[in-house]
Amino acid sequence: MFGYILSRLLQAIVVIFAMSILVFVGVYAIGNPIDVMIDPAATAEIRENLIRQYGLDQPLWRQYLTFLGNVAQGDLGRSMIYNTSVTGLVFSRLPATLELVLVAIGIATLIGIPAGIYAGYRPDSFGAKAIMALSILGFSVPTFWIGMLLIMGFAVQLGWLPSGGRGQVGSFLGIPTSLATANGWSHVIMPALNLSLFKMGLMIRLTRAGMVEAMQTDYVKFARAQGLPESQIVFQHVLLRNISIPVVTIFGLELGSTLAFAVVTESVFNWPGVGKLIIDSILQLDRPVMVTYLILVVILFVIINFTVDIIYARLDPRVRLGGKK
Amino acid sequence: MVKTTLKTGAAVVALLAAAPSVFAQDLTIGLRAGPDSIDPHWSTLGSQAEALRHVFDTLVDADDTLQLTPGLAESWEPIEDTVWEFRLREGVTFHDGTPFTAEDVKFSIERIPDVTGPMSMTLYTKYVESVEIIDDHTVHVHTNGIAPALPNDFTRMFIVPASIGDGVGNEEFNSGEAAIGTGPYRFVSWEPRGELVLERYDDHWRGETPWERVVRREISDDAARVAALRSGEVDLINYVPASDYLALENNPQIETFIADSVYILNVQPSVVDELPQPVRVNGQVIEENPLQDLRVRKALDYAINRDVLVNVVLEGLGTPANQLMPEGFFGYTDEIGEKEYDLDRARELLTEAGYPDGFEIDFTCTNNRVPGDSVICEALAQMWSRLGLTVNAQALDGSVFFPAAAAKEYTMAMSAWGTLTGEAAYTYGAMIHTEDPEKGFGNFNRTGYSNPEFDAVFVEGTQNLDEEARRALYEEASLISMQDRALIPTVILQTVWAAAADSLTFTPRVDQETRAYEIDPVQAD
Repeated sequence: MFGYILSRLLQAIVVIFAMSILVFVGVYAIGNPIDVMIDPAATAEIRENLIRQYGLDQPLWRQYLTFLGNVAQGDLGRSMIYNTSVTGLVFSRLPATLELVLVAIGIATLIGIPAGIYAGYRPDSFGAKAIMALSILGFSVPTFWIGMLLIMGFAVQLGWLPSGGRGQVGSFLGIPTSLATANGWSHVIMPALNLSLFKMGLMIRLTRAGMVEAMQTDYVKFARAQGLPESQIVFQHVLLRNISIPVVTIFGLELGSTLAFAVVTESVFNWPGVGKLIIDSILQLDRPVMVTYLILVVILFVIINFTVDIIYARLDPRVRLGGKK
Repeated sequence: MVKTTLKTGAAVVALLAAAPSVFAQDLTIGLRAGPDSIDPHWSTLGSQAEALRHVFDTLVDADDTLQLTPGLAESWEPIEDTVWEFRLREGVTFHDGTPFTAEDVKFSIERIPDVTGPMSMTLYTKYVESVEIIDDHTVHVHTNGIAPALPNDFTRMFIVPASIGDGVGNEEFNSGEAAIGTGPYRFVSWEPRGELVLERYDDHWRGETPWERVVRREISDDAARVAALRSGEVDLINYVPASDYLALENNPQIETFIADSVYILNVQPSVVDELPQPVRVNGQVIEENPLQDLRVRKALDYAINRDVLVNVVLEGLGTPANQLMPEGFFGYTDEIGEKEYDLDRARELLTEAGYPDGFEIDFTCTNNRVPGDSVICEALAQMWSRLGLTVNAQALDGSVFFPAAAAKEYTMAMSAWGTLTGEAAYTYGAMIHTEDPEKGFGNFNRTGYSNPEFDAVFVEGTQNLDEEARRALYEEASLISMQDRALIPTVILQTVWAAAADSLTFTPRVDQETRAYEIDPVQAD
C-alpha cells in the first residue's frame, strides 16, 4: 500500500508540473494583460513602466522560472487586480463554494440514488418512467435556464426565497458558515438545487443501469431462491457490493468538477464563490490568479481521485488484492 | 403575563408603523461591477471611481454631462503657463474628525506612483511636476508644460488624509482602517465582488443625503440583477440589458431611467501601407490599401444606416453618432450635420475609387465590452455587403481583441470609446493624433492615421489656456478628423437603470455612474 501511495504521489507531482507549464504557456499566448487593463488614455511611458514592473518584458522561460522560484518559497503571487495574495483570495471564497457544492451533492445523492434504485427495481412501472423522463430533463436543459426559471418562480412570483447572494453567516462548531443559519439555508437551497439537477440525473441513470443489470444476475436469483428478504437482496447484495463502485467514481469526479467549475450557477445566483472569481480573472487576464487557480484545481482532482481509489479498495476486494494472486 | 404580551404587541405595532420610513432610509443598489480595492489610488477603473466617490472626494467634480463643478476645491485657475492654483474649501473634515488642508492634497498626489496598480493612476498626474503648499487652503500645482486639461484629470483624483502615512496599501484600506475620506458616506465594509456597505456622514460639506445606509451589491450577471430588482431585494439596478428593457418598460411596477452614455462604437479603418490582413479583389490579394482612399472610407460611411442600427439592432437603446463624442462635450462641433444613409452615393464613390466590384475585407470587433457591440458588428457587415463588399466579420472577447488591436493586427476593427473626461483632448490625443510616443500622443491610434493639419490645430489647442479659444480649436479638429473619416462613428450607446415604480428619482449621468447621494426618495403621500 505504501509503494502504491508513493507512486501515485510521484505521478501527481509530474501532472502538476506539466499542468503548470501548459497553463503558463496558454495564458501567455492570450496576450499581454497590461493591454487589457490599462486605461485608454495612458501614455506609452506609463505602459512601458508597467510592463517592466510586472516583469512582462522578460522572455517566457524566465517568467516561468521566476514563477517556479516563488512557488518553491511558498509564494503563489499577488493578484494584479486586487493586489492581495492569490491564495488568500481563493481561500476567502472557497467556503462559499464548498457550502454550495456539499448541499448540491447531498441533494443529488439523497434523491438520485433512491430514485435510481426504484427505477431499476421496477423498470416498467409508471413511477420509473416518470423518473427517467425527469432525469433526461436534468441532463439536457441548460443550467442557467433552469436557474432563471427557479428565480422567476420562487423569488419573483412567489417571493418565498431570495433571488441570489449568500445568506447570513453563522458559526457551526467554530466554522463560519451560512449553513448554520436559517437565512443562510434560504439562500443556498435554490442554487444548490439548480447545481444538483445534472448530477441527480447522472446518479439516477447510473444507479438504475447497475440495478437493472444486477437484478438479472444469477446471484440475485439464488438469493431469492434462498428466501432472503427482498430488502436485504437490494441493499446489501446489489447496492452495496455491486453498483456502489461506479457511483462512487462519478461522485468523486462530479464533486471535483462542481467545486472547480460551479461558475454558471454562481453567476446566475450571484453566489460569491471561486467560480465567479476565476471567470472574472480570465476576463481581466489576471494571470497570477488564473495560473494558481488552475494548478489548485489539478491538485484537488489528484486528491479526490486518490481518495476514490482508497474507497474502491474498501468496497471491492478485487481492487484491494489486485496484483497479489 | 397578559400585560407583557400586550406591551410586546404594542411595540410590534409601533415598529411596523415606523417600518416604511425606516426602509426609506436604506438604499440597496444592484450594480454590474464594483471596486477592485478600497484604496482610491489603486486603479483607474470606472466602477472603482464610482464606488469610492461615496467615501472620498475629489478636488474637481463633474456634473451629469461631465462639465466641471467645484469639489474640495472651490475654484481653480492657471496663474502662469505652468502653474495651476487651487483654492480649497474651508471647514471640511475627514470622517475621523481631522480637518482637510493643503497637506492632504500634496500627500494624495505624491502617494499615487507608490501605490497604484496595473490600471495606473499616474495617468491623472502625468502633467504634475510638483505640488506647492501656499497656505492651508491654497495649493499650486506646477506642471511639466502647459496643461489645460489638468482640472479634468483631477475629477478622479481622490483625496486621502495625510495622517494615514506612507506605506499604507490595499490591505489597510480594504479592512477599513485607512478608509477615511471626506465623502458623503463612511466606509463600513467591503468584500471583493460582493457588497460595499456605507453609512451616512452627517457633516459632509454638500449637506445631508437622504439615505442613512447604502449597500452597493455587485451582481455581475445581467439576468440575476434584473431578477434581484423584480423580487425586491434591491431598490435600483444599473445596466439593464437590452433584452430585458422592453419587458421592464411595460411592467407597471418598474420604472426605467435612460441616458446617452459617453460610449460610441467607432469603426477604425487602417490606412497603413501594408495591411495586416490582406484585402482581396475577385479572390486575388491586392497590393494597395483601398482604405487609404478617402472615397472608400466615405463609401463605408454612407452605406451605414444608423437609424436601423439604433431602432432595429439596438431596439431603440442608442442614438446615431456623427462624431466621436456626444453633444455638449467640450469640442463637439455643430458644423457636422446628421449622418445620411445614401447607398447609391456610396456605390458611386466606390466605383470612382476603382472598386466597382467591391473587395473582400476582414472586420473585427469586441463581443462583450459594451451592450450590442457584436450585433452592431454583424449588422455593419451586412450593410457593407449591400454596398458590394464581402465582409468577414468576427467578434472577439476583449481579452483577445485588445492585445491584438494594440499590436495593430486588424485591417478594420470596431470597439467602443468613451470620452470619459467630457472634453475632446482625451479622445483626440489618444486616437487621432499621429502616433508619437515622445510627445505621448496617439497611443491608441490603431489606424496609422496621420494628418499634419489636424495635429497642428489639436496641439495648438492643448497649449492654449484660454477656454474659449481652446474650444474653437478643438471644434475645428473635430471637423477635420470627421471630414477625413479618420474613424467612422456609428452609434452612441445608451444606458438604462431600473427601480421599483415611484420609489426614487434621479438624473441619469452620461458617465453611467450611479451615485447614491444624487438619488432622492419619492415621498409617499
